[in-house]
Amino acid sequence: MDCERVGDVALQGDKMDVLYGEADSAVRARVAEHLAGCAACREEMAALSGVRRDLATWRLPGARPSFAPRGIVVPRWVAAAALLLLGFGATLGATGYASLRRALARQEARAAELERRQGEAVQALEARPRPVLDPAELLASLDSRIEERLRAAEKTQADRLDLRLADWEERTEAQRRVDMARVAASLSYLDGRHGQQLARTNELMGYVLEASQKR
Amino acid sequence: MGRSDEELVEACQAGEASAFDVLVARWEDRIRGAAYRFLGSEEEARDVAQEAFLKAYQALSGFKREARFSSWLYQIATNLCRDRLRRRKTRATVSLEALEGTGPVMVETRPGAHERLLERDLARAVRRALHTLPEEQREVVILKEYQELTFLEIAQALDVPVSTVKTRLYRGLDQLRLRLERDGLRRAAPLPVPAP
Repeated sequence: MDCERVGDVALQGDKMDVLYGEADSAVRARVAEHLAGCAACREEMAALSGVRRDLATWRLPGARPSFAPRGIVVPRWVAAAALLLLGFGATLGATGYASLRRALARQEARAAELERRQGEAVQALEARPRPVLDPAELLASLDSRIEERLRAAEKTQADRLDLRLADWEERTEAQRRVDMARVAASLSYLDGRHGQQLARTNELMGYVLEASQKR
Repeated sequence: MGRSDEELVEACQAGEASAFDVLVARWEDRIRGAAYRFLGSEEEARDVAQEAFLKAYQALSGFKREARFSSWLYQIATNLCRDRLRRRKTRATVSLEALEGTGPVMVETRPGAHERLLERDLARAVRRALHTLPEEQREVVILKEYQELTFLEIAQALDVPVSTVKTRLYRGLDQLRLRLERDGLRRAAPLPVPAP
């Protein structure tokens, strides 16, 4: 069975006020009066209250749980051994510290001695008279040195050039002689060939003459 | 005791920038929580919260104390969520099932595996049912149920009359009831009749 005031906006508002605890006494009284005589609205209010409980189940994602430290279980003998080692280490450490201090003191004394000697050397150097140099003389000396070097370089270059020229002349002369010898050989060959041919002709001519005389 | 929101706003308007830090620290979680329930995405909720505070800071000089600072802040955040939901609708339709699958796991504190499972199922169903509500009803339900604002504060935040807030809430709760009953997950309990 439906409520006869279904769709009554004012009643709906009042119900919401009651449901969320914002109703004043007058509103509470009005709603109570209506619910007392309306089973449908009682049922509805109960259902809406249940919806509110259901809505509460949707919670926001929370922060991830942090890792709780569980503690480390250490056997007693390990703890005792660790203590022993710790004590031994502490003794060693103390002894080492004392020897280290002594070594440091020695090192410091040595460094101080070295510093003192260096100071003396510096003082001695500063006390020595320094030579006075004239810039003009220095420049003149430099100029003369440069000129000497230049002259020496030019001479070397000229000598090298002369040597190369002489070598080239020698080679050219030798080549010329070889060429002349070849020409002479060729001429003499030609002369020889010509002489033989002439002798052969003479010989043939002699045969011809001899034959004609026989006739 | 710390200063009230209104005092902090006043200090901020007077040039005390650090006062706004206090307001952020005070309201950030709740704004982010509301945005998460509106949007269903933790990342987007964080963005909305940041954006809401930024907008609030920029507009703080023009803030008139006609409404509470928190209501004003919720109004900014709600508008930002609406914009995002609108953009989301134009881009693609996200199924609720997909939303469920990617959602973060709820934190349970009660013992008992069976109870935990039941409650998780119920929480999922609630979340799904909430997302089927029309936007205006969902906003009111979230602001009332989870942010615990008064009707007046919700009205200020949404810029609607108080009566409209109550009507939307009533309809929203009724829709949720029907949906949860249909899923067979809602637990109804008799409510004692209030004494006259």
